[in-house]
Amino acid sequence: MAKLEIEGRVFDVDGDGFLSDPSEWNEEVAALIAKSDGIDQLNEKHWAILKIIRDNFEKEGNAPMIRKICQETGIKLREIYDLFPLGPARGACRVAGLPKPDGCV
Amino acid sequence: MVTQKIDIKKPLEILSRGDDSKLETNMNACVKCGLCAESCMYYLAFKEAQYVPGAKAELVSSIYRRYNTLAGKVAPALFNAKELNQEMAEKMVDMLFGACTMCGRCVKHCSIGVDIPYIVRKGREMLAAMNMVPATLQSTVDAALNTGNNMAIPQEEFIDTIKWMEEELIDEMEDVNARIPLDETDKSVFYTLNPREPKFFPLSISAIAKVFYAAKESWTISSKYYDVTNYGFFNGNNDQAAQIAGYLHDEIHKLRGKKLVLGECGHGSRATRWEGPGYLKKKFDFETITVVEVIASYIREGKITLDKSLNSSKVTIHDPCNLVRNGGLYSEIRFVVKSSVSDLQEMNPYGEDNFCCGGGGGALAMSEYNERRIKIGAIKAQQIAKSGAKVVITPCHNCVDQLQQLNHTYKLGVKIMTIAEIVADALVINKQ
Repeated sequence: MAKLEIEGRVFDVDGDGFLSDPSEWNEEVAALIAKSDGIDQLNEKHWAILKIIRDNFEKEGNAPMIRKICQETGIKLREIYDLFPLGPARGACRVAGLPKPDGCV
Repeated sequence: MVTQKIDIKKPLEILSRGDDSKLETNMNACVKCGLCAESCMYYLAFKEAQYVPGAKAELVSSIYRRYNTLAGKVAPALFNAKELNQEMAEKMVDMLFGACTMCGRCVKHCSIGVDIPYIVRKGREMLAAMNMVPATLQSTVDAALNTGNNMAIPQEEFIDTIKWMEEELIDEMEDVNARIPLDETDKSVFYTLNPREPKFFPLSISAIAKVFYAAKESWTISSKYYDVTNYGFFNGNNDQAAQIAGYLHDEIHKLRGKKLVLGECGHGSRATRWEGPGYLKKKFDFETITVVEVIASYIREGKITLDKSLNSSKVTIHDPCNLVRNGGLYSEIRFVVKSSVSDLQEMNPYGEDNFCCGGGGGALAMSEYNERRIKIGAIKAQQIAKSGAKVVITPCHNCVDQLQQLNHTYKLGVKIMTIAEIVADALVINKQ
């Protein structure tokens, strides 16, 4: 198991830096992971996206489709890619504390 | 990894079938010249002997000699003949899954052309027979086996996404005929996607839909079996590869499609088009072609009109290994890109000699080796930076994801695009 250290806090993560234990996640952890991706301050739009991803994970056990994120937050698709430069999977899902999705992401 | 007694019967059978002359000749052919070393991204990044491609192939060949040659049986130490045991198997996992993207660049640099990735793939078959496939890679294969797509997207969610993209396209084109037809029969094009498109990156779906609309193509996508990937090509389990290949094969028959058009996916194109008939042990009775070639034919036949000035940024091309070095699409990709952009700068090296993105061979799916993947990717990142391009075009979604991560990690400040996206941006639509 790999370790990820951000500002003195140490997390158990998989090789891609996704939290090994999603229950370790909270808003403070999200802000720290975001910082390590170069997002200094999570804004309202970031939080709206993270909330949907997190809710979906807790109910369905996986990441939501990007359609659901766009339609429930009202944020345009292209803007989501700007908000999370690493994309919805390596960017947003990681900040939301999910395990890494399978496939080419 | 848990230490356990391993069953070596099945993996050894893979090496001693006696009906695979390609394997036997390639395993016996290496002359240890070492020319392959500098061709390999892993060796260039780490400079350790274990990463030399020939040394990785030697892991498999040394086991072959130990059990299949008199010299190896009688004097193993003298002939570098090795036993297959737990330690050896773990070394094989680390080197053949964790340190080879099967990009085939070493084959082009080998003084006698040994097909090293073929031997590596056999090594992976041996490991699959021992249930030693890395968990993250197997999980991607399992998702495809169980649900028909490697991200386990439920059918209704896929349909909702396609309908959403269709509505946006109809709005953009101001034409109700700008459709994304699902599950329609007797169409000339049966199109396929990488599941990451509907799940997270659907702009490439609307891009290709726009191209098909402009070309007045008769096309459809299956709402159940649309996945162009086949991770069975990577995990080394041929039964699983065959089951996955069977999904597309059966679905195109069900919908009576004429042409299986492979979406932008390097390994998926290869695993379906070249390996698929082998996995299924039958010749395909439908045409199989990549979407790059289909778009090229639209341009040649005047079915679409492109305006290069609409893409004026400097672009470069990343050649996916399975489409160019191992797929013959060098010229077709150049033709399509040169028809769509006004300023193309090639990388160095490029084409058949291009470096892998670093995420091939299933590496992108294997978190276990993430650090190595990013480190070898530095070579690709330098190539991109030196080209001076602002846009990197690549017809492979796996490459797109790796390049996106390299873009972020190495602060390249470029935009990564698929071929359909760059072509869609250059389209001049004649209202229908």
